[in-house]
Amino acid sequence: MEANPRSPFSAIKIVECGEGISAAFGAKLIADLGAEVVKVEPPGGDLTRRRGPFPNDRPDPGKSGLFVYLNTNKRGVVADLTRPEGQKLLASLLERADVLIHNVAPSERAAHGLDSAALCAKYPRLIVTSVSMFGDTGPYANYRGYELTVSNASGWATLSPGASPYPDLPPLKCFGSQCDLQGGAHAAIATLAAYFHRLKSGRGQAIDISEQEVVAAMLEMNLMHYTYAGRVTSRLGNRALGPWFIADCLDGKIFVLAVEEDQWKRLVEFMGNPEWANDELFTDRLARGRNLDALKALMTEWLSGWKVQDLYREAQQRRIPFAPVNTMRQLYETEHLRERNFFVQIDQPGMGTLKLPGMPSRYGNTQWALRRPAPQLGEHGEEIFCGELGVGKEQFTALRQSGIV
Amino acid sequence: MADLPLSGIRVLDFTWAWAGPFCTMQLAHLGAEVIRIETTARPACPTRLLPPFADDVSGPNRAGYFNQYNQGKKSILMNLARPEAVELVGDMVKQCDIVADNFAAGVMDKLGLGYDRLRKFKPNLIMISMSGYGQTGPFRGFIGYGPPASAASGMFFGTGYEGGEPGEIGISYPDPNAGVFGAFALLAALAHRALTGEGQYIDQSQLETALVMVPEGLLEYEINRREPARIGNHDRLMAPNECYRAAGDDDWVSIAVGSEEEWKSLCRVMEKPALAQDPRFATAALRKQNEAALDQIVSEWTRARDRWQITRALQAAGVAAFPAMSNKDLAEDPHLEQRGYLVRLPHPEVGERIHAGIPWKMSGTPCSVRSSAPVRGADTEEVMKSLLGYTRDKVEQLRKAGVLV
Repeated sequence: MEANPRSPFSAIKIVECGEGISAAFGAKLIADLGAEVVKVEPPGGDLTRRRGPFPNDRPDPGKSGLFVYLNTNKRGVVADLTRPEGQKLLASLLERADVLIHNVAPSERAAHGLDSAALCAKYPRLIVTSVSMFGDTGPYANYRGYELTVSNASGWATLSPGASPYPDLPPLKCFGSQCDLQGGAHAAIATLAAYFHRLKSGRGQAIDISEQEVVAAMLEMNLMHYTYAGRVTSRLGNRALGPWFIADCLDGKIFVLAVEEDQWKRLVEFMGNPEWANDELFTDRLARGRNLDALKALMTEWLSGWKVQDLYREAQQRRIPFAPVNTMRQLYETEHLRERNFFVQIDQPGMGTLKLPGMPSRYGNTQWALRRPAPQLGEHGEEIFCGELGVGKEQFTALRQSGIV
Repeated sequence: MADLPLSGIRVLDFTWAWAGPFCTMQLAHLGAEVIRIETTARPACPTRLLPPFADDVSGPNRAGYFNQYNQGKKSILMNLARPEAVELVGDMVKQCDIVADNFAAGVMDKLGLGYDRLRKFKPNLIMISMSGYGQTGPFRGFIGYGPPASAASGMFFGTGYEGGEPGEIGISYPDPNAGVFGAFALLAALAHRALTGEGQYIDQSQLETALVMVPEGLLEYEINRREPARIGNHDRLMAPNECYRAAGDDDWVSIAVGSEEEWKSLCRVMEKPALAQDPRFATAALRKQNEAALDQIVSEWTRARDRWQITRALQAAGVAAFPAMSNKDLAEDPHLEQRGYLVRLPHPEVGERIHAGIPWKMSGTPCSVRSSAPVRGADTEEVMKSLLGYTRDKVEQLRKAGVLV
C-alpha cells in the first residue's frame, strides 16, 4: 500500500496548499502515478471537507466523499500559513520539495508566504504552480470567483444548455465543478512539463494558471463564430446539425445523434425507411438541424418503443453514435466499465469500502494506483514534522496548543 | 531554438475532429514539433469542413474550428491507402517520440499503423490512442463523439434547470476534456521515459476521462444510493448562487456568495441594510433554505442595472460577480488582452484572426503560439526534407506516384 518503489514518479515530492478542488485535483493526478504529496490544510480543514456528500447527509469533516476523491494517495498536515510559525513549517517542507501546487488567491499570497517570485528566488529548483480564477496579472487578477463565476466569465454558461427555446431561463452551468477540475488538470499538465524541463535544465519556475483562460480555450468554435464570421453566440437558437436531441424510451432517456450523412442513411434504414425521411426538410445534416422540431416529432414514436440499452446497442452495431443518458447507478452497473475495472476500491477509515472513479488513461508501463486513503485532518503532522523534518516533540506540542498545527 | 519544455520532442499526429487535435495542441503550446498527417484516403478532418468559415466563404483552410485547435502544428498530406505511404510513416516514426491518434478502436491497426508495428521502428516510442470507449471491453467498437459522451457520463443527467429534465451542456465538452487527459498522459509518459528509458502505449477512453470529472454525482450514489438533484445554477450549500438578468437585451450576471462577509458586502452594495438583519437570511443554511425569496430580491436589483456596473461594484466589495460572457465579450476583453491570451498570427488564407491562446504562463520557459494552423499539406516538402533528408526531386516523384499529395 505504501510508496511504489517501481514507480519512477515516487521521486517527485509535491507540497499542496490552498483549499477546494483545483490544486487538490492537479496534485491528485500526479500522486496517482506515484508522486509523494503532502497536503497542507488550514487549521479549520479544507473546505471540501464541509461539502460532502456525507453518509446519511450528516456533515463530518472525515467523511466527505468529494474530499476523499480528491485526496487519496496524499499525506495530510495542518499549518496556519497566515502565521510566521506556520510559514516556517511550510519552508521546511519546501526545502525538500520538487513542486508546490496551490490555489491561494493572488490577493492573499503575500500573507500566506506564497509569493511566486519570492519562492522561485529562494528555491531555484522548485516548480511553483498556482491556480486562480483570473490569473496572477491583469485587471481582474484580484476578482473573487467560484465555480459559477468562472462558468460565466469563460463564456461556457452563455452557450448552455444550447438551442434553448426559453429566453427567460438563464445561462446554465454544467453539472459539478468542471472549471475547478479543469484548472487542476491544466495545472498538472504545466507542472509535468516544467518537471520534464527541469530534468534537463535543473531549473524550477513559476506557473500561473487562469481558470477563465483554461475554460475559454475549450469552447469549441465559440470565439471563432465572432472573429471569423462576426456572429455572437448564445444559448438560444438552433442546432447546427441534426438529428441531435434527448429522447424518451420505454425505460429511460437516450441521446439521439447522427453527425455524418452515412450515419443518417443507416439510421433511416434502421427505422424501417419511413417515407417522411425523404422529405426535403431533412435533405442534409444542416437541414435536419434547422428542422429539428419536425424531425423530433416524427422520430418520437419509433424511439419510445425501445428499451434504452437495446436501442443503444442496436444503433451502435449499425455505427450510429447514440448513447444512453446514464444515471449514476447505471454507470456503476455498466458492464463495459466493470470489465475494464474502471471503478477502484479504497478502504476509507470511518466510511468503509468506497468505489471511486479510477484512471483516466491506461498506461502500458506507468503504474496508476490508489495506495492510501485520504488523510484525516492533521493525520500526518507528527510523522512528517517531527519524524522527517526534525521538529522537536515539545515544539510540535506547543505549535499545536497555539493552533498553528 | 527557444528553450521550451518540449523543445526537441517530435509528435506524429494522426488525430482528427476535436479531442485528438486538442491534445496535440497542448504539446505544440509546450514547444513540441507536431506534424499532422492528413490523408486523402479518408475525408478531410471534419473541423476543416464545418462553419464558421472566414467571412462565410467556405474552404478547408478557412474553418475557424480547425484553425483554433491546430495552432502551432505542421501538416503533411499523403495517401495512406498506398503501402508506400505506410512505409514512409515508418521511416518518420524513427525520428519521432510520440504518435497520437483518436480513431475508433482498431482503425490504426487496419491502416498498418498499430503500436506493435510502429514500435519496431522506434523501440521507446510513446503512443496514445484516444477512442470513445477504449481498446478493450464489450463496447470497444462503439463510436463516440463529445455530445453522446456527455450523455453517457452522467453529465446530462446532472445538468439542468431546477426541477426540470436532464439538460445539455452547450459544448461537446468530453472532446477537449479527453484532449486534456491525453496531454497529461503523454507528459507523464515523457517523464517516465526520461527517468527509465522506456516508451509505452496509452489506451484512453473518452467515457472514462469524462467520468473522472463527475465525482460529486458518482459519490452521491456510492455513499447514499441517491442520484444527484438537478439544481440549475444553484449550489448545494451556497446562496445566492445564480445567474441573474441584468439591464439590456439578453444580458446576465452571475453572483455567488460563500461567506458571511460576502453576504454583508452584497447587502451593502445593493443598499439594502435591512436585508443583512433579515432573519430569513441570517446564516448560510437559512439563505439556502430561503433561496427562492433571495433570488427574487437580488434579481429585482440586477434587472435595472448594467452587468459590468454590477460586477465592478460587487467585486470592489469582495463579492464574486461576473457577466455571462459572449464570444464578442471575450474577443474584446481588456483583461484577456492584457495577459496576452488572445492570439493574432498571420494565416495565408484568413489573415489575422483572434484565437484563444495558451492558458498557462511559465516564468522560466515562456510558451507562445508559434504559428497559425497549417494550410492542408503546407509542410509536406519541408518535413520530408528535414526528417528524411529527401530532395525536392524525390518528393516530386512521390507526388507523381500518388503517395504524397
